[in-house]
Amino acid sequence: MGAVWDVLTNEVTYSSAVRFAALLLFAASGEWVAERAGTLNISVEGMLLSGAFASAVSIDLVDSMWLALLIGALAGLLLSTVQANLSHRLPADQFVVGLTINILVLGLVGFLDDELDPSVSGAGVVSVPLLSDIPLIGPALFAQSWPLYLVYPLVPAMWWLVYRTRWGLEVRAAGEDPNSADVSGIRVNARRRQSIYLVGLTSGLGGAYFVLGAVGSFEDSIIGGRGFIAIAAVIFGGWTLKGSVAGCVLFGAVVSFRLSLPQQGYDALGTELLQALPYIVTIAGMAMFAHRIRPPAALAKPFLRGLK
Amino acid sequence: MQTPGPAAVELVDITKRFGRVVACDGVDLALQRGRIHGILGENGAGKSTLMKVLIGLVHPDRGEVIIDGQSVTITDPIDAAGKGIGMVHQHFSVVDALTVWENIALGDVGRLDPAAVRDRVGDLSRHYGLAIEPDARVGDLPAGMRQRVEILKCLRRDPHVVVFDEPTSVLTPAESEQLFDALRRVVDEEGRAVALVSHKLEEIRHATDTITIMRQGSVVERIATADSDAASLARAMVGRWVSLRTERAALGLGIEEAATVDDDVDDEPADARDVLELVGVSARGGDGRVLLDDLSFEVRAGEILGVAGVEGNGQRELGDLLSSLAPISAGEVRVDGRPVRCGVAGAMSRAGIAVVPEDRHDSGCVLEMTVAENLFLAEPERIAPRGVIDRRRMNDAAIELIERFAISCEGPDSPLWSLSGGNQQRVVLARELSHEPKVLIAAQPTRGLDVGAIEYMSDQLRLAAETGVAVLLISTELEEILDLADRIVVLSRGRVAGEMTRRDLDLERLGLLMGGADVSELAP
Repeated sequence: MGAVWDVLTNEVTYSSAVRFAALLLFAASGEWVAERAGTLNISVEGMLLSGAFASAVSIDLVDSMWLALLIGALAGLLLSTVQANLSHRLPADQFVVGLTINILVLGLVGFLDDELDPSVSGAGVVSVPLLSDIPLIGPALFAQSWPLYLVYPLVPAMWWLVYRTRWGLEVRAAGEDPNSADVSGIRVNARRRQSIYLVGLTSGLGGAYFVLGAVGSFEDSIIGGRGFIAIAAVIFGGWTLKGSVAGCVLFGAVVSFRLSLPQQGYDALGTELLQALPYIVTIAGMAMFAHRIRPPAALAKPFLRGLK
Repeated sequence: MQTPGPAAVELVDITKRFGRVVACDGVDLALQRGRIHGILGENGAGKSTLMKVLIGLVHPDRGEVIIDGQSVTITDPIDAAGKGIGMVHQHFSVVDALTVWENIALGDVGRLDPAAVRDRVGDLSRHYGLAIEPDARVGDLPAGMRQRVEILKCLRRDPHVVVFDEPTSVLTPAESEQLFDALRRVVDEEGRAVALVSHKLEEIRHATDTITIMRQGSVVERIATADSDAASLARAMVGRWVSLRTERAALGLGIEEAATVDDDVDDEPADARDVLELVGVSARGGDGRVLLDDLSFEVRAGEILGVAGVEGNGQRELGDLLSSLAPISAGEVRVDGRPVRCGVAGAMSRAGIAVVPEDRHDSGCVLEMTVAENLFLAEPERIAPRGVIDRRRMNDAAIELIERFAISCEGPDSPLWSLSGGNQQRVVLARELSHEPKVLIAAQPTRGLDVGAIEYMSDQLRLAAETGVAVLLISTELEEILDLADRIVVLSRGRVAGEMTRRDLDLERLGLLMGGADVSELAP
């Protein structure tokens, strides 16, 4: 148990937990909106990776952090136009499209990474005065590289968008009862496409943040399935934003915990087992909460107009 | 009242085909301000298609929509709303997961202002006498309240023309009265034009000023309500004189009559044994909501027990339960005194319960399979003794059933979708009755069928009861229950609100029970 104690009292564990949680939050906050609109958008994994790679190449070519972040977000957006228009303009199956995108991006990025081999310079750490002096949590939340801080306004902005704007109301109607929404004069598939563009932007940005603000270098396994964990966080959170944030923090903490243990010199548990830990927690979480949560009624159901 | 004002909207020569079916064939219709215009017809007569043209959900192949003398094209419901046409849908267009005010704001444009919408909901509901809580979640409200939301949503856009599509199908008799009162106000005080679409003769006569009757896509008669009589309306609607009691009940013609002409019916045999028993059955939904609440009743051999009630009070759940589709949280279901496990696939069927389900397309048959395959879907061992289908045996057995139940089709190999709705229903009925069941559950067995098919279905239910089957008829059509049932239990909020036999039938008490009135106040 000494190992666990050492890890839990170590500042590094908390800092790295926040960095992982932030990555998940960039992806999950957009994914939450897409799912509320009725799309189980699995291409979020590919969106993260494309954002990460595009920003890595950008920072190599032009030395502007803001521009690299922007290009990362646009790469995610570009990918989301493929997902959105294939699954909500043409009636292609959203999972087949998503799966294809993920495989395609993984292959393409692997190839281009070998060709271009971008060298990345990370963003600088900015400490927020006073707040970063709080023990353990302070530096973890407020002494990070500055792109991470973008996630703090992003999450409440998503809540406001979904619950306080007409667009958000229409998105929720589209995800719950597309036929009624249609009869009420809402362009259901347009709302669904737009919500996918949104997750494209946030996860592209998330990928860029991870390269520039957390890792500081690029390799093609950098995302490594965390897009899927972001999806799991949304489900774990019962399709509420609060719950999704809790899911991201929990899963981020678990990832950080398993990375910190060996760093502290404890390797009694096999690394393979440790690597599986976040996924085990995900499955356990889903098993615990699956029966008491209600997904958006039209989640993953395509909407076609006309007489049935 | 007899001088027609200027037409608020006119439909001219509207024609619409779906494949080979002509849903509307050169239909003309003018809706006047300050008048309630009844549009009467059987299921499939083209009423709904015509109204969908009016609100832009269906685009006609030919014909014109004229508003204030101008020919217009209505592209979609929002466009229709902009042109002053609104509709209160039969299957509501409200989103259960949203609150009342959110639903009413849905489809507006501009910035969302919750406080303003809430205030407006309050004003509207006071004005029309339709009380409603703006912050309630719509899914938690009973059907009558959800319809109020639908009506307020429609009236909020201040339409000149309001279409009500079968508005009373989810209402208790008292709620229907309230609705017609509000309708009158909309018409008399505000000069709107109202179209009331219905297949129920009595309510059309009761609530309208003029009537247009449709049959098979065409207008067959236009008449002022004051000059009409029920029998000739019924004749125009069905295309022949109707005299049979069932038919009259199916048309909603004379509830009193259907309920009282039964002096020739024997009292149920006193020694009839209970075949199906439900004892304290409770069931909960996935979200923990109580769907069936300590439900107890029994059905005797040779009787038809009618389960009356307003839609959404547990009918669907009761049907699902007896189709082995849903588990229960407490209580017991017994057939011939032996308990049956609930929620285990096929258990109810093996215990001798046959089901004609509420939605035959959803759970009654497979449209892409052939008639013969559908006939043996539930009991394939009869035609496939060792797991391999014996085609000759299947064909012979299918032909026998097709003849016995007079199923109109090209043969056992024709796909089920090629049959009419009434004949698809016969296939389901033939399959269920061919097992020689002890209990027959008929859930909304005549929904969406025409008068002839309703007649056939009613005869079959009576016949089944005569041969000693315990028949449970679950229906939201009160006329159907009154016509067929020997005994009636009223289902309200998932529990039995009251029970009465044909002998001590009291329509007023029945209506109150359906509306969820407290039983203790009504104890005879």
